[in-house]
Amino acid sequence: MTAPFTRRVALTLAAAVLTATAAEADFPERTITMVIPFAAGGSTDLVGRVVAERMGRELGQQIVVQNVGGGGGSLGAAQVAEADPDGYTILMGTVATHALNPLILKQKPYDPVADFAPVSLLVVVPNVLAVNPELPVNTVQELIDLAKTDPLAYASSGNGTPLHLSGELFKSMAGIEMTHIPYRGSGPALTDVLGNQVPVIFDNLPSASGHINSGKLRALGVTTAERAPSFPDVPTIAETLPGYETYTWNALFAPAGTPPETIELLNAAAKVAMADPAVIDRMGTFSATIVASSPEELGAHVQAEMTKWEPVVQEADVSLD
Amino acid sequence: MDFMSNLALGFSVASTMENLAFCLIGALLGTLIGVLPGIGATATIAMLLPITFQLEPVSSLIMLAGIYYGAQYGGSTTAILINMPGESSSAVTAIDGYQMARQGRAGAALAVAAIGSFFAGTVATFLVAIFAPPLTTIALKFGSAEYFSLLVLGLIMSVALAHGSVLKALAMVVLGLLLGMVGNDVYEGTPRFTMGITAFADGLNFVALAVGVFGIAEILRNLENEHDRAVVTSHVGRLWPSRTDFRAMIAPILRGTGLGAVLGILPGGGAILASFASYTVEKRLSKNPKEFGHGAIAGVAGPESANNAGAQTSFIPLLTLGIPANPVMALMIGAMIIQGIVPGPNVAIEQPGLFWGVIASMWIGNLMLVILNLPLIGLWVKLLTVPYFILFPIIMAMCAIGVYSVNSNIYDLYAVAFFGLLGYVMGKLRFEPAPLLLGFVLGPLLEEHLRRAMILSRGDPMTFVTRPISLTLLVLACIVLVLVLVPAVRRNRAEVFTESEV
Amino acid sequence: MPTDPKIPAPPAADQTPPPPRSDKTDIVAGLLLMLTAGLFGWQTTGLNIGTTLRMGPGYFPAILSGLLFLLGLVIFVKSFRSTTEEPIGRIAWRGMLLILPAPVFFGLTVRGLGFVPSIFLATLIASMASMRMKPLMALVLSVIVTIFSALVFSYALGLPFRRFGPWLPF
Repeated sequence: MTAPFTRRVALTLAAAVLTATAAEADFPERTITMVIPFAAGGSTDLVGRVVAERMGRELGQQIVVQNVGGGGGSLGAAQVAEADPDGYTILMGTVATHALNPLILKQKPYDPVADFAPVSLLVVVPNVLAVNPELPVNTVQELIDLAKTDPLAYASSGNGTPLHLSGELFKSMAGIEMTHIPYRGSGPALTDVLGNQVPVIFDNLPSASGHINSGKLRALGVTTAERAPSFPDVPTIAETLPGYETYTWNALFAPAGTPPETIELLNAAAKVAMADPAVIDRMGTFSATIVASSPEELGAHVQAEMTKWEPVVQEADVSLD
Repeated sequence: MDFMSNLALGFSVASTMENLAFCLIGALLGTLIGVLPGIGATATIAMLLPITFQLEPVSSLIMLAGIYYGAQYGGSTTAILINMPGESSSAVTAIDGYQMARQGRAGAALAVAAIGSFFAGTVATFLVAIFAPPLTTIALKFGSAEYFSLLVLGLIMSVALAHGSVLKALAMVVLGLLLGMVGNDVYEGTPRFTMGITAFADGLNFVALAVGVFGIAEILRNLENEHDRAVVTSHVGRLWPSRTDFRAMIAPILRGTGLGAVLGILPGGGAILASFASYTVEKRLSKNPKEFGHGAIAGVAGPESANNAGAQTSFIPLLTLGIPANPVMALMIGAMIIQGIVPGPNVAIEQPGLFWGVIASMWIGNLMLVILNLPLIGLWVKLLTVPYFILFPIIMAMCAIGVYSVNSNIYDLYAVAFFGLLGYVMGKLRFEPAPLLLGFVLGPLLEEHLRRAMILSRGDPMTFVTRPISLTLLVLACIVLVLVLVPAVRRNRAEVFTESEV
Repeated sequence: MPTDPKIPAPPAADQTPPPPRSDKTDIVAGLLLMLTAGLFGWQTTGLNIGTTLRMGPGYFPAILSGLLFLLGLVIFVKSFRSTTEEPIGRIAWRGMLLILPAPVFFGLTVRGLGFVPSIFLATLIASMASMRMKPLMALVLSVIVTIFSALVFSYALGLPFRRFGPWLPF
């Protein structure tokens, strides 16, 4: 990626020269576009819209949401990576756009570290390992034992998604084999597990929670290090497999080269938004835990996630061109 | 009866002034945006969705449902008037609806579509109210093997969509299936036929394909003869269906409603088949099947009813399971979650007002649509008297905006141009676009279910015949195949003989 | 496709019985299908076919390409014993040259020029496709379409299009 690099250098220089004036200018003087790299209606879209609305009020300028779906989030992310680094185009990034895709994609449309300026890690969302109630297992250990004697299959929302890799990490840490059955999204995967066409599923907690509550799905464990506040009775997978931890996260990014003052303003607005009781309430219904980190923390988080997933991706031999 | 009190609760929620207003606004906006040429239901909903996010949960779902029906209705209107279907179901309507319009019977076609939709919507709403829970259990019995067999049945039926050569129709189905393969493979993520363009990783855009092969190809066809005469019919004919038309539409509407209601329940793409299946059935049962493709009223009434009934019953898996049957339903789930409602089997118990309110509003929405649209028919038909050289640049502009608004993907616009050319060439070579479109829609599903069924059965192809539902569907497919092929062969022979002797 | 809108059109000619002869349309149709099948087939060669248990990404496309080729072949062969002859007719060259580039132009410029100038020019290009369209008329029509689209899509519906893009000085 040499072209963006030289451009970045040029921009940094330009930014340095202009810093004095740029800092004086009132940053949001027109509408800000938040690119959501998935279709409308998904969990990232929902988080994005709630946050965009509240942040817009804080900044005194509307933040419009633009859904640029496709390529597992990489199309939208690439669009923001190439956008003008002025803070008027920001990205609602996820574990997929900033950790998994860069590891999985053979052709890399962007560099998750060099092409972006981190703004804030907003929320983390647990995933859940659940089974159809007809499968005679009640705990993670029983599932592992069963999988050692019986060949099992598990459903996920698609190849290379965080849920697929959560399953692969589980397999490798438990030392078992399970056939992965990918679907086009969480909905169809859930349908087949509810109908017992496939016995096991890794899903986002928000989309599975209704079925867990109604008893149509049996939750064996959540994937986070701590139990989820919305499901205190469901153990963590880590209680059986120490060290197991995966989750989905949403974070704001701006293009690399965005002036630090602008990043600060966006970060401050994000923090205010995430402290609003109405937003907290909404995030609670997604079982999402609010983080609202600093830009530096998000930068470190991206690095940590890439380090964590790299061996899993290699072991599972997942790759997309 | 229990469901009566439930419905009463629903109507009391849905008929508050506020909710009635949102239902009306939704239906109206959906119709108005959806009726712009080249902007179908998908684009309409993508544009209007954000408006609903600010509202109360019940109101936002009611308005979204209104937009959905309105957009579908608008999509059918453009399919009939200018051969521009915005989604797979209205592609079927376009076949005979547009021919009716060319013969000056646009008013009749639009009225038939409105009446059929309303009737189907009413019946299906009651079905939803009465049978939602038991029907859900049936839907869950459908695994990949069953869906594969159902899709095979659907593809075989599609041959009846053609009114020309069966061979060429088959070729178009296969080409459609191949175009449906474009994009990253679901199982391994390998890109196929994308020519290295990442924007096509999720496949070609349906709207781009439909607008191209139907609408733009039609514009080009209309332009080729403008040297010698006025291009499009400016004679409008009567607005209202005649008594014979009414008689001809009753049975197709009833059958279409039944078919659509049943297929709509299946969350894995059943609703897509509804209008295609209805067209096939009508053509088979018709006394003069040759009329199909040249303006058969049954070819509009049946599919439109089936489509609307299917749209209605596809709410069953959504409301009872929280499982979206199509992208619009996924948006509905999103709307529920953003309002703090966790979709799933508990919604009906925990939020009866919302659950039944939405169901009741479906019927109210349908009623509003028919009231709104019957008077509008006169206006739509007048649009046809606008000189064509003024109309088509407007169509092109709206197409461009509509296609781009769905995903902000500029490659979709290039695809429109490509498929416009393809559609024009196909027309010149006497290939028909409807089978192509069906193949395109079903292709990815067919492959996905076939491969998944094989993995789940551990490579045993017997899975398709040992599972009873799957076996039944395959037997049906064989019967349809015989029914379709035998007369085709016989007719071809007959044509050869009669024509060479006349 | 019937070219005359007013005739419901029985597709076959019903005057003189044409002797069996070759149908040029179907010759071309068959050849094009085989060519398309070949292209798809060629693109499939790089894909993993897999086994019946674990079908690879190439399995289904390979079968389909083969099927398409066969269908093309049959249509090609049958075309030499055809009884219908329908001329290809006039070709809308001017239409193709101006209609098809309109969405492409919109795609190329919507981000750079912005929504308003881009839709204006795209409409202008498309409107020139008709011989009946006078330049002034085209201009007026494009202005109206642009104002309408900007009002409806950009202002009323708030679609996230930039009205004027970075390529413009203001």
